[in-house]
Amino acid sequence: MEKLMEILRRLGYLFTRNSRRQELESEMDFHREMSERAGRPEVRRKFGNAERLKEQAREAWGWTWIDRLGQDLSYAARTLRRSPGFSLTAILVLAVGIGVNVTAFSLFNMMVLQFLPVRDPQSIVRLQRRSPDASTNTISYSSMIFYRDHANSLSAVMGTMGTGGQRFENDGQPVSASFITGNYFSELGTRPATGRLFDPALDDASGAPPVVVLSYAFWQRRFGGDPGIAGKVVHINGKPATVVGVTPYALASLGGAHPDLWLPLSQTPYFVEGSTALAPTSSSGPVEMWGRLAPGVSAKAAEGELRQLTDQLRKQYPKDVWENEYIRSDPGGHDQIMQPDMVLVMSAIGGLVFLILAVACANLGGLLLARGVAREHEIGIRVAIGAGRGRIFRQLFTESLLLSTLGSVAGLILGYVTLRITMANANAPLWMTATPDWRVIAFTFAVGLVAAALFGFAPAWQIARQRHRRTIVRQTLLAAQIAASSLLLIVAGLLVRAAQHALYASPGFGYEQVVAVDLGQGSHGYKPAEARSLLEQFRTRAQAIPGVTSVALTSMQPLGHIRVSTISNTINGHLVRIFPFSVTPEFFSTMRVPLLRGRNFLPGEEHAVIISDSLARKQWPGEDPLGKQDASGSGPGDVVVGIAANARLMDMEDGDTVQLYHAAKEADMTDLTVLVRTAGSPDGLTPALRALSQSLDPKLFPEVRLLKGEFNSATQSAANIAAVITALGFVAVILAGLGILGLVAYSVSQRTREIAIRLALGASRAQVLRAVLRQFSWPVLVGLAVGTGAAAFASQILRRLLYGVSNLDPLSYASAIAVLLAIFALAALLPARRALRLDVARALHQE
Amino acid sequence: MFRHRYSMPMFDMPKDDMPKPGMPSGALGLLILRVLQSGPMHGYAIAQRIHVLSSEVLDVEEGSLYPALQKILLKGWATAEWGISETNRKVRFYRLTPQGERQLENELRDYDRVTQAIQSVLRTA
Repeated sequence: MEKLMEILRRLGYLFTRNSRRQELESEMDFHREMSERAGRPEVRRKFGNAERLKEQAREAWGWTWIDRLGQDLSYAARTLRRSPGFSLTAILVLAVGIGVNVTAFSLFNMMVLQFLPVRDPQSIVRLQRRSPDASTNTISYSSMIFYRDHANSLSAVMGTMGTGGQRFENDGQPVSASFITGNYFSELGTRPATGRLFDPALDDASGAPPVVVLSYAFWQRRFGGDPGIAGKVVHINGKPATVVGVTPYALASLGGAHPDLWLPLSQTPYFVEGSTALAPTSSSGPVEMWGRLAPGVSAKAAEGELRQLTDQLRKQYPKDVWENEYIRSDPGGHDQIMQPDMVLVMSAIGGLVFLILAVACANLGGLLLARGVAREHEIGIRVAIGAGRGRIFRQLFTESLLLSTLGSVAGLILGYVTLRITMANANAPLWMTATPDWRVIAFTFAVGLVAAALFGFAPAWQIARQRHRRTIVRQTLLAAQIAASSLLLIVAGLLVRAAQHALYASPGFGYEQVVAVDLGQGSHGYKPAEARSLLEQFRTRAQAIPGVTSVALTSMQPLGHIRVSTISNTINGHLVRIFPFSVTPEFFSTMRVPLLRGRNFLPGEEHAVIISDSLARKQWPGEDPLGKQDASGSGPGDVVVGIAANARLMDMEDGDTVQLYHAAKEADMTDLTVLVRTAGSPDGLTPALRALSQSLDPKLFPEVRLLKGEFNSATQSAANIAAVITALGFVAVILAGLGILGLVAYSVSQRTREIAIRLALGASRAQVLRAVLRQFSWPVLVGLAVGTGAAAFASQILRRLLYGVSNLDPLSYASAIAVLLAIFALAALLPARRALRLDVARALHQE
Repeated sequence: MFRHRYSMPMFDMPKDDMPKPGMPSGALGLLILRVLQSGPMHGYAIAQRIHVLSSEVLDVEEGSLYPALQKILLKGWATAEWGISETNRKVRFYRLTPQGERQLENELRDYDRVTQAIQSVLRTA
């Protein structure tokens, strides 16, 4: 209590310290007068100290530092204003270094930290099935209902099921739709743009009339924003449904889903004829499950309760619930659900952008040191009139802080602009804004502080101790810049090569002339035998279309994203990801995946597998795999009959290409996709294939995709990453080049006299040039060596993220080092030329 | 300086401006509080009083008196109010608060204990 009162009193002094100071001064003046009156001579002696005494008395309040900071700040502001060229350069360099970091953090913040603008986003959880050795992001409708009805720790459970390819009226283009539980919008607190959104009481009841909610963009695009849309009847997959409303313009949805249409999950069988999505078959299914934690319940507690419910579910479906299965909960109220594999990517990006800051700071440190020499005179005077080292250090550091604060503000603006441009080009959700929130602002100023410590501390210390003539600090700063920028440029080179590899190296299969047709027979309730006859008819009739050369069936569409399954097995001590395909024999010729050895599947063959070359080499190095059983991932009794060439069919970034092909069986028929190869361009084939499917069964509305489009989008991300890193690398190199330019120019100007004497004594220009540049040779060499070593280490990490990044790609390294050396040589020679053009007589007269 | 536990106060001095020997700074606070116990007075009077009462041995300088007074005010051991001096000038008078009274008692007790301890060492060692 007394302590508190003391703090309050102290705070009171902070705000009234000017009037307090006057009171104290008049009191002390009175004391002096009295003493003089009493004729005490020693008081007069100390008269000169009066101001110091008053300051000491005030120090008891504990606020003198604020006054000093004010003094330092106004002094620093004056100093910076006096040399606008230096200040602008410094702020610009800092703005780049800080801005890059702010942009990266803002993106992270928007996607991972910021909550969705929905009702109580903190309590929303994403619920997924997990077990120690299996995971899936979807669950069956019946299991979701089971959890919804029995979990007390969840106040609500929401289900979503995204689908593509619904037919809207008779439009040629398919529209995308999300099937959602009726409580979805009311749980999120979403307000409609017009009409109403779903209501569980109205739309989830059995026999409820079919309804649809349009997305804002679709409403604008398809209906020109018709204000009377609510109540209209539209046809989805040929089924009439009433439009009840439109979602808001800046809709915040779970998991970043932005389909054209929203439909009630409970009405799936109506809209998708024959759909088994709601059938209470097993625990695996197509529904994404979300929950809202009951008030006061932690995610951990909810997981515990759900685990018990999973055990009850296992009693109902002993075969379908995995061993040790549990429901994992992740915070769901964000745009992206943070997954463990994202951490590595994020930290790699964080490391790279921090390097830019490091280069900027090293650069600025060099500038400040050089400037310290120019201020030698001023500092000398201040020391002479009694300023302590600590005081000068504090003053110089305040200057750095002021610079870094200005740089932070500029960086914040730069980050904002970059973010606006990025978001405009990246289809960001409309609720996201580039306007920095408190996290971004706090981050910016924290980075500014770190920057000030990085670039300001060493120079301030050196200058305050008046030892700035030592070159070692400058050389170290230079070496650091070169190391960081060469690291960035080499990594950029590796990534560009990786992107090129992805773009131009053969993926091992022919994609340009292949069209994938997903008839969706499984989701329309086809039985295997019906599906087989449908596919058979489709195949025969497709082959009759002019230009079609072959037709094949596959369980996984190459480069596709739906129904992708993988098997993770340990082969000879290495964890390997295997893609198991079920295909018809025509697959290999249609996809242009050559069979290297052995033979293709025979018609009706059951226990035969074809494996990719890399699987053969991994499992049986140096042995003949033909005729062997137990290929990893295959079933008992399966015999290897052929070896297929490696092809990156499912993942462009997968260097392993481990595939296992089974002959497609009757049971697979419901899930097979048709692959159609054409002789010429496949672009005009889509309508013909769609019409063909319509003629076979009018309720089908197939997804038709050109594989070359899928290929482009698969490689686009690698190309984008490479472009961004290259831009960062060049920013770093240009900063480092400017740093070298400044240091050499400074060093030449410092040594004008020495150079003139050398020239006067008959030294050749080349000798002089060597003498000037010698001090920069080792920082360049050390910097390059450190940067190259770090790049070799970084490439190890990158290899795990991106296919085609090689460990020691000599071309990337050599070209990066060559570019760096060229830029550094240019940066050093430009100012060094001044030394050579020196007018010897004038230079010597000047000094 | 005015810590409750009175651990060897003589050595607890501010760094920048050491008071002259003969006026241990820790003891100064104690003396000020003690002098104020007899009634409110202004800074110069406090210094004079200590000077006189110590038979002119102890000399309180501005450089230590005013920082000490500021601290006493912050701690709430005394309050200051404006009054008119004997020379008809406006000046601040310091008045001991009940908290200050308590502090004085504590410090006196601690001081006695320490001096006794020192005395016994000096006598026996």
